[in-house]
Amino acid sequence: MTNIPEKRTLWSSRFVFIMAAVGSAVGLGNVWRFPYMCYEYGGGAFFIPFFIAVFTLGIPLLILEFTLGHWSRGGAPKTFAKIGKKWEWVGWWPLIVEFITLIYYSVILAWCFSYMIYSLDLRWGSNAEGFFINSFLGDTGTPEILGNIQVPVVLGLIAIWTLIYIINRRGVKNIEKAILITVPIPMILLVIVAIRGLTLPGAVEGISYYLTPDFSKLWTAKIWLAAYSQVLWSFSLAGGIMITYASFLPKKSDINNNAIITGLADAGVSFFAGFAVFSVIGYLAYSSGTAVTEVVRYGPELAFIAYPTALGLMPFAAAFFGIIFFIVLLNFGISSAISVFEPLPVGISEKWNISKEKITGILCLLGFLIGLIYTTGGGLHWLSITDHFLASFGLGLIALFECVIVGYAFNLSRLRKHANEVSDVKIGVWWDILIKYVNPVILSALFILVIYEIITTGYGGYSIFAILIGGVFVVLGAFLLSFIFMKLKGVEK
Amino acid sequence: MGLPASAIAMLIFGSVVLYGGLAYFLYRAMKNKKRL
Repeated sequence: MTNIPEKRTLWSSRFVFIMAAVGSAVGLGNVWRFPYMCYEYGGGAFFIPFFIAVFTLGIPLLILEFTLGHWSRGGAPKTFAKIGKKWEWVGWWPLIVEFITLIYYSVILAWCFSYMIYSLDLRWGSNAEGFFINSFLGDTGTPEILGNIQVPVVLGLIAIWTLIYIINRRGVKNIEKAILITVPIPMILLVIVAIRGLTLPGAVEGISYYLTPDFSKLWTAKIWLAAYSQVLWSFSLAGGIMITYASFLPKKSDINNNAIITGLADAGVSFFAGFAVFSVIGYLAYSSGTAVTEVVRYGPELAFIAYPTALGLMPFAAAFFGIIFFIVLLNFGISSAISVFEPLPVGISEKWNISKEKITGILCLLGFLIGLIYTTGGGLHWLSITDHFLASFGLGLIALFECVIVGYAFNLSRLRKHANEVSDVKIGVWWDILIKYVNPVILSALFILVIYEIITTGYGGYSIFAILIGGVFVVLGAFLLSFIFMKLKGVEK
Repeated sequence: MGLPASAIAMLIFGSVVLYGGLAYFLYRAMKNKKRL
């Protein structure tokens, strides 16, 4: 470890920093969301808006966040307080949103943990959907009836929060060790999963759905907004994560090239995951004698219903490939979870001078206890509502505020100069234009689309009560809490 | 059934942009070892 005067522990090498940033960016969404987005939005034609989004939104915002963290040498609240005391809440807001996200994300990781064990004997049998919904989740069909706490999920949840505590209690020192396992291993295993998938009958048909372009879809606004939304989520942007991680970089560290490598690596994993997913979807369609369009799924349904169903049909070594698949998900998820968790304890310990280990323990316990609601029979519905509202009104809006505040209330060219001084690849005025003008317009359009969809279509047919408690109050609560955190007096070190 | 030519074209396009780009910037990073 390298120490600077204030005894802040820093990343020991450029390699581990990039690995940590990539580990944060690459998560479950790369495997279970991106391939489906391609299928839904014009197959290979989706690559065009996606790549444009990577280069105009993803990488420029990564450069911005790396630069902010490196410049302020602190977490997101300290960074925004340094820009202007009145903006400190913009630093707290993403941290609280991310912590709430982690509370239900850890439950999904607990599912992966259980399914990794269930893969040993393919416990779901011939009815993966019935097993997942009824036996495993004990789904009550509505958020209003909580039903029983599902013990296997709780056990998985204990394992996940214990792991987060062990890794995060000592900050980057332990994160460094963890990411050397949780980043390369799932990537290697994903190659094995893809190779197995590609050797199955029907795989080419599935891949064809993933890659064959329908360029006519490029003329619809929705495909472009979907691409920008995917990049925003996939790159771990606007969550305070990249600002926090970059604050632990030594003074002479490269910024711009690190951001480019992180962005391309994340997108590269998404692109590759498409082959692992759609080859198996093709096999599932082939084996069940139906069309790919009939069996294609995304999100948890892909991982816990479609994939297990395909495993049950595999001629040999199904348990082996099942275990590997869930290890991949679990590792991608854990490397993201530890990065999502880190900014909040760092922010709290910086402001109130509380021991990082102590606050990590308190937050882990809190996260576990609140997370118990998602382990009940109605938990799936609460998870779905909270996720939808946080996704809709959380990060996109934060990214918009980030661009506007840094672009208009701060000297953006000063940040560009800071990044260029330490970086191999130089950025020009085009970066200022993207941050100040282009991305605020895109992010505003994303926000307007979300509002329009909620007003016109509602969400999932849930009651107003459930939407208020699980969605609206959570979003507003996070927003208000960020102001409270700002107003509370800090402790001078 | 094989992959349509347009699918193969998108496969090459995606690979060149992402993995070609990644290889180039990794090469630049390795060439510039002095920057941690």
